[in-house]
Amino acid sequence: MTGLVAGRPLPPLPALVAGGLVILGLLLDTFVADGFLVVAGLGAFGPGILRELGWLKDKDEFQRQAAYRAGYHAYLIGGLATICIVSGLRRGGRDIEVSSEWIMLVLLVLWMTWLFSALLAYWGAPKTASRVLIVFGSFWAVFFLAHIVGALIGPEPLQLSGVLFGIVLVGPFFTLAWTAVRWPRPTGAVLLGVAVVLLVIVGPTWASDSLQLPSVLVTATLLLVPLVASGIALVRIQRSQGSEADDSEDPGTPKAVGA
Amino acid sequence: MSSRHEVRNHVRRHRRQLHDITQQELADRVGVTRQTILAIERGRYDPSVGLALRIAEAFGVAVEALFEIDQEEGP
Repeated sequence: MTGLVAGRPLPPLPALVAGGLVILGLLLDTFVADGFLVVAGLGAFGPGILRELGWLKDKDEFQRQAAYRAGYHAYLIGGLATICIVSGLRRGGRDIEVSSEWIMLVLLVLWMTWLFSALLAYWGAPKTASRVLIVFGSFWAVFFLAHIVGALIGPEPLQLSGVLFGIVLVGPFFTLAWTAVRWPRPTGAVLLGVAVVLLVIVGPTWASDSLQLPSVLVTATLLLVPLVASGIALVRIQRSQGSEADDSEDPGTPKAVGA
Repeated sequence: MSSRHEVRNHVRRHRRQLHDITQQELADRVGVTRQTILAIERGRYDPSVGLALRIAEAFGVAVEALFEIDQEEGP
């Protein structure tokens, strides 16, 4: 049994535990010691392994099919990304060195492809886009709040431009999460536009030699992929599927039947 | 000459007009999530034979009354 929060069912216990492990692992890895990333790995991949072993049966057939299909998509996109990175590393045109950041980039591409594909299959584009935007918006909000708090208690003065950039970056995530379920196609177009604008604004900084290439690619993936993937999924919705946006409980009360 | 098969279903009509139950109630009866019932009703997911039979059993009808093949001639 799952409890209710604001009238909505809580996520199943395995999902809560897995999510908790991922967050805990990332926090421990960031603030305590590098090796704790393995805890996040247990949260990310552990439940799937347990399901394949038959020890965890928390998904119905539709959810399993969505997960399998997402796994294939992750294999295709992750494989392509890995080939491109290996090809670039071998070429070595920019004195690229193999580092854990490159492996993190591949993991990020794998995970994000899997996540988007599974959620799109399960929820449909509007609800997926809305929830993904909220999650990534929250992620960036926490990131910038930590930056502000760090500046307030640390020796470095708080840069107003940094705060404004944070608002400009986080604002669209939450605003468009709200509009995605109401006006999916226009929201999709706006999301793609926001991605282009962000690329134009931040692109020159990313292109500067002072930044490590894998770190730039990880940031770009985290920042742009949610916007672009959600935007494409929403724009591709056909007009006839507009009602797909509303997947609230369909009541059993019969309606008048037309001709 | 090939043909394309699409499965059409009448789950939503049976649920709403004949049985007056919610998606959640049907989902609970057949042991899946509400999102799965929603996906079936909207044609985004064709259920397995087992689930189709469980839904038919929940409505007390033959599975053919709920699902039919919509065959289109292809090129």
